[in-house]
Order: sequence, then structure tokens, then C-alpha cells
Amino acid sequence: MRLALAIGSFLILVVHGLVFYKQFFHAWERHQSAYFDQARGLAKSETERAAVTGRSPRIEQLIVTSFGETRVDRCTTCHISSDDPRFEKYAHPLKTHPYSAAMGDVQKNGKWERRHKFSDFGCTVCHDGQGRGLKPEYSHGEDHYWPDPLLGYVAQHGWRKEFVSKLKGREYMEANCAQCHTEDNFAGTATVQRGRQLFFSTNCYGCHRIEGLSDGTLGPDLTEVGKKFKVDYLWESIADPRANSATSVMPQFKLSEADLKALVIFLKSRKGMNFSETEIQRYRAKLTGGAELIQATIKPVEITASQMLQQGQKLVEDRACMACHKLNARDGGIAPDLSYEGLLKDESWIQEHFANPRSVVSDSIMPTFRFTADEFKAMSAYLASLKTAPALASGADAYKALCQRCHGDKGDGHGEIAIYLDPYPRDLTKAGFMNSKPMERLTHSIQNGVAGTSMPAWGKLLNEAQVKGVLEHVLTTYTKTPRRELKARKVPTANPVAMSPASVTRGEAVFVQRCAGCHGRKADGKGPNSLDILPRPRNLRNSAFVHSVNDERLFDSILYGVQGTAMPPWIDYGLSNNDVGDLVNFIRGINPQSKGNQHARAIEPR
Amino acid sequence: MSAATPPKPAPPAHKPSLVGSLLSLPANVWSSIFRNPLPGNDVERSATSFTNFFLHIHPVKVHQNTLRPLYTLGLGLMSFFLFIILVVTGILLMFYYVPSTTQAYDRMLDLRGSVAFGTFLRNMHRWGAHGMVAIVFLHMCRVFFTGSYKKPREFNWVIGVLLLLVTLFLSFTGYLLPWDQLAFWAITVGAAIAGYAPVVGKDMQFLLLGDANVGQEALLRFYVLHVAVLPAVLTLLIAIHFWRIRKDGGLSRPAESEVQPEILSAPGADVVVTVKAVQLEPKRTYGLQGLVRGPLIKTGNVPDRSVFSWPNLLVAELFTFILTLSVILVVSLLFDAPLEEPVNVMHPPNPAKAPWYFLGLQEMVSYSAFWGGIGIPTLFVIGLLIAPYLDRAPGGVGKWFARERLLANTTFLTFVVVNVILVIIGTLFRGPNWAFVTPW
Repeated sequence: MRLALAIGSFLILVVHGLVFYKQFFHAWERHQSAYFDQARGLAKSETERAAVTGRSPRIEQLIVTSFGETRVDRCTTCHISSDDPRFEKYAHPLKTHPYSAAMGDVQKNGKWERRHKFSDFGCTVCHDGQGRGLKPEYSHGEDHYWPDPLLGYVAQHGWRKEFVSKLKGREYMEANCAQCHTEDNFAGTATVQRGRQLFFSTNCYGCHRIEGLSDGTLGPDLTEVGKKFKVDYLWESIADPRANSATSVMPQFKLSEADLKALVIFLKSRKGMNFSETEIQRYRAKLTGGAELIQATIKPVEITASQMLQQGQKLVEDRACMACHKLNARDGGIAPDLSYEGLLKDESWIQEHFANPRSVVSDSIMPTFRFTADEFKAMSAYLASLKTAPALASGADAYKALCQRCHGDKGDGHGEIAIYLDPYPRDLTKAGFMNSKPMERLTHSIQNGVAGTSMPAWGKLLNEAQVKGVLEHVLTTYTKTPRRELKARKVPTANPVAMSPASVTRGEAVFVQRCAGCHGRKADGKGPNSLDILPRPRNLRNSAFVHSVNDERLFDSILYGVQGTAMPPWIDYGLSNNDVGDLVNFIRGINPQSKGNQHARAIEPR
Repeated sequence: MSAATPPKPAPPAHKPSLVGSLLSLPANVWSSIFRNPLPGNDVERSATSFTNFFLHIHPVKVHQNTLRPLYTLGLGLMSFFLFIILVVTGILLMFYYVPSTTQAYDRMLDLRGSVAFGTFLRNMHRWGAHGMVAIVFLHMCRVFFTGSYKKPREFNWVIGVLLLLVTLFLSFTGYLLPWDQLAFWAITVGAAIAGYAPVVGKDMQFLLLGDANVGQEALLRFYVLHVAVLPAVLTLLIAIHFWRIRKDGGLSRPAESEVQPEILSAPGADVVVTVKAVQLEPKRTYGLQGLVRGPLIKTGNVPDRSVFSWPNLLVAELFTFILTLSVILVVSLLFDAPLEEPVNVMHPPNPAKAPWYFLGLQEMVSYSAFWGGIGIPTLFVIGLLIAPYLDRAPGGVGKWFARERLLANTTFLTFVVVNVILVIIGTLFRGPNWAFVTPW
């Protein structure tokens, strides 16, 4: 027992010794002593020497209050001679901070004078890092928990190896310069400006919001992205969007390394409110949404009538349309194929779609981009000029060239871009659905497309024989099950219930009771059960689609269900023709074609 | 040390001279503080315990069983010493801490960067806190497996369970104070678990956080609870816990009838006489010992298996203290307490994990919010609280895993093992989205 006690006590003594040693012998004391030694040697006068001799090692700190939250920068504890011009040739940490005319430093009588005085600015305002730390690991931000390692100099453990070399370089510090120097033509922030230009020209703004600059909603808000994320994460998110979130819909932009770096530096500079902004400026920018800023940043192309097609082509190619769309060989893998756009759509459709994609395909994820009207016109003209039909020898060929990108090579609707489409492409292997629809309906869908969805009218590109060939190919290769004679159904050809507010109210009651579980209370197809169902319940607010189907088809789908989907035959659950009539009126009522529409007029409150 | 014994100055009849007083000043001061010299005989040993404020909590004599290291494992004392270490380091840390969301994290950086011994203090406090949670739990296991909660110690067990809960809550409230990502999200998860309680859950959560989310109000509340309210409650409960140990006649031990006959001092005495001082008559005066409940063992032919506290008990206590302190010191020297990113409310880590001792709960919550977070833990605590009132069989006290207590011990062991397994799964085997991962 006594031995154990003695050992324990000895251990305590040893630990205390070690702790005291660690406490009283700091690296920074050695640096300061070295500095004092050197300075004593360099001193020119006796008083100067005496002043140095009188100093003893201590923690030095700069307290900076003018830039955001109070900063305590103890960097000068080690970098004690950073402002002493005599130490220019010394190694770090004693090396003098370089003087530079580009930074605004001026030479007076052979002596440099700093524009950014350390006493006013501290160190971390420009460099990042952790001002309070006194060990290089912490103060330089090598500790991987620290959000702001020295910009452009320090890479933390765990950063992706292939990125590390690209994340070094003093140009990264421009992100901090831009916290004060927000002018668009400031020479010191050229990379930030380039990044800002790219943010607009590669259409980042279409999906991302940056307060005061853009208001995209599809992607994450980037207003404070520089504060939240390190450069490594920013680089990865652009270079490899799915590395962090497997469900990301962000396209892989084919950017050069220089462009990528500029974008990362621009994003790193987005830290919410910067130092030169005031609350009121920010509020004003918020009101305008930054619309004019885009045109101020990237000069609109002057469209001339003779050059229109070429200019349109250049815009489509340069402004990252193929980050999502396919055009001939270039394929972004997210949005529909534009190669035959001129055959499928006319110029006015394309223009209308540009102005507001959701006015045509109500659940499209395509953002509304802020091109000028002239630019839109040129791009539409170019797209409308793409009228070369592909050579298609067989139905299988046609399927492969035109259908497979959405419907998939197995015909199951899981094509390459399917997850970005709403509604989801039809699963052609479901015999229940395919064989319950008359051949005319299937042919009609191929020939004329499906309104309100991404299914185009292939009839403009394929002749009747080719359409037949494709359908044949689909039915034999994917559906497989042979078709049977369809049973005749008793379906009213026109709605027996007249449109009236009372009917709409009754219809709504039935809808909420019977349909909302899947189609949602808003009839937008997003009911609580919708996520478990594929194909997803129809969005009944997709006006283009609702207008394209007649009452007879609505009655058929509701009364007898849609085979191969989750829609049950409601006739079995006691819905009468009149109930369905009310439902149809309700559905028509929430999709008024226009103010002058006959249905809209019928249900307007009197 | 015997030199320190006061040189009893023969009281001279004449007035003591100033020089004489000055010369004997050190000795006089010493003897006025420590009234007893280092004890040389049993009477002095008793007096030492009686007359010293810090020692008089001890009995003069203590049963040998109490001193068996393998019986108690020193766990209760370790918990107490850890608490002392935590109070001391905690008070020192308080000098540097500000419970403000804008300053707390900076203060942590200062502690790590420029405060003398700052890192070491924080390490000691952090590892001491984790250690205390673990040791208090182990202490509870020891008490259960030796059947020590049985009559007359039922209520002291209840206080012990309360002490465990207060310890957990202390550790939990302290977890938030560094105001880093680890702290913020652990408390967010922990408070969310409390929110699953039926009826009062949301109100409880709001009372705890002072807001809908973890923020300035929560930080202030946790701070006050951590540095004032809970330590006061814990101190009071510890005092009662210790006081009751004395009043219950020391630590539990096997009944004297079970000890081996060869150490009985009276040969042939099969039945040991036990006297109970229960029939108190109002008009009589009683010695203090008479009021102590429980079997009195120091009468007649009963073997005296007790030894003097000084030095036997004190050395054992000192040893436990040295052991506890050296482990904490070495661990603090080797491992730095974690300090993660400053709080970022918009950027939760994946997975966000509660402190390790609540990861068993979080693991259960991942199966069922109510049953995992509230239902089962509440039942478990209630079960612990009423255990001594359900298990009334007198046998098996004072022995590890006594055969008579097979059912009780097995039940308890099952709970302990399940809990430990859940904590291990939650700590090591859960990755992003609480999916099962392997740590290697």
C-alpha cells in the first residue's frame, strides 16, 4: 500500500513537472528572444539598444474593432518583427511582412509606410486563421475544426488530396480583400470579379440565391457560403457536386481550373454582409433582387438581325445551357435533348418557355434566366433553326435516339434524366397500363406528346410508319405481354353535371375525402401517400395537362381507375356519375384557362 | 514527525516573557490548530478522529470489511474525489468563462491559447466529468451486486440514484458551455429527446432551453444550473448520502453469523448475540452509540473485527485519492479535450450525437422516439428507485453476486449489459443518417 502510494505521488509530481514545463517554455518565447538578440545587434544607437534590452517576452496582441466582430490577433507574438523592415531577409516567423505598392504601401524618404496598418487591421481580417491561438497548429488553422485556415496557405488534414495543390495561392486572399473593396473594377480583386462574372455567365444565379445578387430557389442559398464553408468544400461542391450529397441535382459544369478557382474565390467572398455595406444598402438590394446587377456584371450581347442565329448559338453554347441539356454531342445529363428543337417546337413556344418555363411545363425545374429580351429572341431563333431530323432505320433505332434518355434502356421509365422530370417518364414495362389503353391513345401520345409534361410531339419528327415502328418496338421489347381485346366501358362522353359553384363545392368535398390522400389537399399531386407511389399521382393543377384531356378521359380514369398505377376504379367505391361530374368540375375549376374561360366565368362569385 | 509534538512547556508561575512566547510561537500555533499530536495509542487515535473537523465524519473504528479493496473497489470515494477535482478545476475555469453566445467560444480559444494551464484545466474538468459519470454508474452497480441497498439502507440507495441523475444532468449542462458544434448539436439532440415526453415534453424542453432552439437563453440556463444549482444539490445529496452511511452503521457487510468461526474470539459461540437498541424509554438517557441503529456488534463475546480509522481508513482514502488524481492527471496530459468548430446553426454535423452516456438513449430513440427516449428510461429509473422496496429478502448482503440474489443480480446485469451495448453501438457503430457503420 505504501509503495503504491509512493508511486502514485511520484506520478502526480511528474505530471505536474511536465505541465509546468509545457506552460513556461513556449515556442513563441524563443522567437521573441531571437528577435531581441538580433535587434540588439542591429540597433544603431545606444537608446535603441537599451529599449530592446528592456523588453522581455510577452504575449503581444492586436485588438481590432473596426471590422465586424472584435478580433483579438495574437499573431505578432511570434511574428514579432513583421513590421520591422530590417528583417526582410530573415526566415519566418521573424520575416518582415512584405511591402507592396499594389497594396497601397508608399515609400517616403526611403522608408515604407503601410496603407493597411497592422494596428488598425490586425492580421486575420486579410489572412483568416485563428488570431487567439499561440501554437502554429491552432493559429494557422491547421486544426481541422477551425473554419478559416490561413487563406491560400494552409490546407487542413482531410482535405481532398487532388484539390490541395489547387487551393493554395495568394489570390485566395482576394476573397477577404473583397470584404471592403467591393468596387467592380478594383484591381486587387480581379479574381473575385471574374468569379462573379462566371456566377452569372455560367448561370449559377438561375438556381442559387445570393442576397442582393440573385434569387434562384432550386439550389442552396449562397449568401453566407463563404462564412459557412472552407475552400476545399466549395471546390468539391462545384467540381464534384454529388460527393457530398448523393441527391444533388447540380450539373457538372465543364469549367477550366482557372474558372473554377475564380468561382471558389468569389464564393469564399460571400459572407453575408461585408464590411463596406450598410444595413440600408442591403435592404435596398434585397428589394430589387439584384436584377440590374446581372446586366451590370455581364454586358448584354448586342443582337443584330443579320448575326442573330450565330449570336444565339454562341449564347446557348457559352452560357452553360449544355450543363443540363443535350445538344448533339454535348450532354449535361439533366434536361431534355435540344438537338431537334426546331422540329419539335416553334419559336414562339421556345420564347414563352424561356420567359417562364413553368407556364408550359408546370413542374419544370428549369430556372427563369435573366437574359435580355433580345438575347432570348436570338437564342430562340437559333434553337428553332435546329431542324435536322436524325436518320432512323428502325423502331429500335428511334427508341434509342429519342426515347431512351427519359424512358431508360429497359423501358422502365428510369432513364438517365428521369429523376429531374416531373411527371416521371412512363414505365413502359407495365403491361397493366400499356394494354389497358387503346392503341390510338398510345399513338396519340407519341405523335402529339403529352401536354404539360416533357414528352414532346414526336409526330413532327417521325412519320406515321416510324411512330408505329417505335410503338411496336416498345410493346414487343418492353411491355411483352400480348394485348387483349379491351372491354367496352360505360363512360359519359360529356360531363352530365353543369359547371356551377355548388357543383365545385360538392366536388371539393368529395376530393378532400377520397382523393387528397394521394393527390394532396391542394390537388398538386403531393399528398401524404404520394411518395410511396410510382408513377406519382397526377398534379391536377398542371393546367396544360388538364386542358389537354377531355371529360370522357377524366371520367374513364376516375370511374375505372388507371391500370398499372395506384389509381383505383372509384366506381367500385361507390362514386356515381354525378359525384365524378362534381369532381371533374372541381378539377376544371382549379385550372381556369384564363379569365374569359367558360368555366372560370361559371364559378366566379356573383 | 514526533518532533512536531508540542514540547509541553511546564507552566511557570511567573509571567511568560515575550521572548519565550516568541520562541514557542510555532509550536503553540501548531498545537492550537491540531489539538492532538500524531496519535501513539488507541485513545489518541480516537481523539484524532473526534477533534479534527475534516476527520470527524469518520467513525473512530471501522469494520475490516469496509477496507477490503475488492469489496468496494473504492468507487464511491472515487466519485467523491472526482467531484472535488471538478469543483476545484471548475471554479478556476469560471474565472475565464462568459456564458454568452458571442464570447463563450472565444474564451475557449483563450483557455487553449493563452491562459496559463488553461488547456490542462479544461482537460482535467472534461475527463473528470466523463470519469465521474462512469464511476458513479459503476458504484451503483457495485452496490447492487453486493446487495447493499437492503434494509436499513433502502433510502440511501434512493439518494444514490438521485445522485446518479444529478451527475448526468451536471455533465449534460456542462456539455453545452464550450459553445462549439459538438456542444450545440449534442444539446439539441438531448433536449429533443426530452421533448418526446408526453403532455409535458414540449414544456419541459422550453423550460430547459428558454427558447424554441438552443441559443443564448439555453446557454445562460445551462450555465447557472451547471455552476450553481446542480453543484449545490449534489453537495447536499452527498452530505446526506455520507451521513446516512454513518447512521446505518457503516458500509454493508455480511452478517456476522456468516463469518468463519476461526476468527471468533469466543470459542464455541455459535450464535452471535446481536443487540438492538430499539426499546427506547423516554425518561432514560442513552449513550450516543445507543441511538445508532442496526446490530451492535461490540458486546460481550462478539468478535471485534473493527480497526481504528486512523491510520487504516485514512491511508485507504488517501490511496484512492492519489489513484484518482494521477489517472486524471495522466489522461489530461495525454489527451486534449475536444473543441470543434464554433456553433453554426445552419450546418448540423451528420450524425449529430448526444454525449456518450446518452447515446444509448439516442440509439433507442432511433427505433421509437417515445419509448426509447422517455418510456424505457423512465421505467428504468423508477425501477431503480423502488428496487430496495421490491426486493425485501434479507439475504445476500455484503457479498458480490450472492447466490441468494441470483434473480435480482441477473435482471440488473441484463439492464447494464444492454445499456452498455447500446452506448457502444451509438458511439462507434453509427455513421451519417444514423446508418450502421463499422469503426474500422
